[in-house]
Amino acid sequence: MRGPRLEFAVGAFLLLALASLLVLALASTNNKWGFGGHSYPLKARFSTIGQLRVSAPVKIGGVVVGQVSDVSLDPQKFDSIVTLSIDERYKDLPSDTSAGIFTAGLLGESYVGLSPGGDIETLKPGDEITLTQSAVDLMQLVGKYMFAGGGTPAAANAKPAAASTSSTPSDAPTEQTP
Amino acid sequence: MPFVAATRALGAAGLFAVSVLRASKPTRDFFAELTREIYKIGARSLPIVAAGGAFVGLSVTLLGYRALETYGATGQVSVLLGLGLYRELGPVLTALLFIGRAGSSIAAELGLMRATDQITALGLMGIDPVAKTVAPRFWAAVLCVPMLTAFFVSLAITAGYFEAVQVIGIDGGTFWQSMKDSVDFHDDFLVAFIKAAIFGAISALVAAYVGYHAEPTIEGTSVATTRAVVNASLLVLMFNFVLSALLFRS
Repeated sequence: MRGPRLEFAVGAFLLLALASLLVLALASTNNKWGFGGHSYPLKARFSTIGQLRVSAPVKIGGVVVGQVSDVSLDPQKFDSIVTLSIDERYKDLPSDTSAGIFTAGLLGESYVGLSPGGDIETLKPGDEITLTQSAVDLMQLVGKYMFAGGGTPAAANAKPAAASTSSTPSDAPTEQTP
Repeated sequence: MPFVAATRALGAAGLFAVSVLRASKPTRDFFAELTREIYKIGARSLPIVAAGGAFVGLSVTLLGYRALETYGATGQVSVLLGLGLYRELGPVLTALLFIGRAGSSIAAELGLMRATDQITALGLMGIDPVAKTVAPRFWAAVLCVPMLTAFFVSLAITAGYFEAVQVIGIDGGTFWQSMKDSVDFHDDFLVAFIKAAIFGAISALVAAYVGYHAEPTIEGTSVATTRAVVNASLLVLMFNFVLSALLFRS
């Protein structure tokens, strides 16, 4: 293969590759081209954040409006401070907006849900959301429900077969095997 | 002294890489050679990469379906397909196919040039043999492996889509939307092509080094070809782990 035809083949290859890159980028990624310049920060304090991690989504009414940009611990009060970066388009959130940490489905990812209030004043960049609801630990809830008012150690010893695999006190097995 | 010998070999390879970079000057002759090499090692590798990608997409979709069926989350099979392809499978398998298809030919060509004293002849004519023979192949590989990765991934996703939607019966909208939600443009998409470019550089450098320094015999050429494929494949797999550990934070 000589000059012009070879150049045509190479050009076609490169064009095809660039086209497929473009289609891939448009069709299969989240299309976040920018470097996060068009967002503003908000802070929220939670007593516990559960499984919430950096870059988890922030949603209002199920629509993603931003993401968690930082999670840190207040060294005095030992609260978790979650910094949210919200899209510039939603900059008029009422100052009585409340934030909560929820889980998508039973085992899904954690996200921050915002519910806007009715205040005329709006949250400025860097403001703190004061109305918050911490994460609910599902396993703890289930545990509390199952074992609430349940067997004392004496009751557990009375039924060793049932209790041997669950939450018997640490001294129970030594008593059963003399 | 195996340790000293290994260190020396590593140093020689590093110096060779530096000499390739130094010999890369954008002259007319360089671009003519580059075009020819892009055709030979890039465009001609397209069929094998495309077919390979399609079959990988099919099998990963089947595998993901089987694994996610347990949790009733078969709609998320495209998350596995998208993330798996961009993060690991796309760049690595493309690089391995590229090594088999083009790396071996680079090593064989340069080995034969060495065996028939063409490299020495270039030097005698006052032409830098590295600039004439190695640099265009190196840059062609750096350019072509990301391009081929794009073909690999697009064919794999298309094939996975047909498998998931037409054969298994997952909803098409769910397929695209869950993939879009999970594949990040910077963290997954761009990183995939950075990885691919690095793999291209590694495979071309190894193949060219081994071929360029081959024993000037017929047997030396065959040894160089084998060594190029084995060493380049191993290095790509090793570097893939290092790059994954460095580049993927979450």
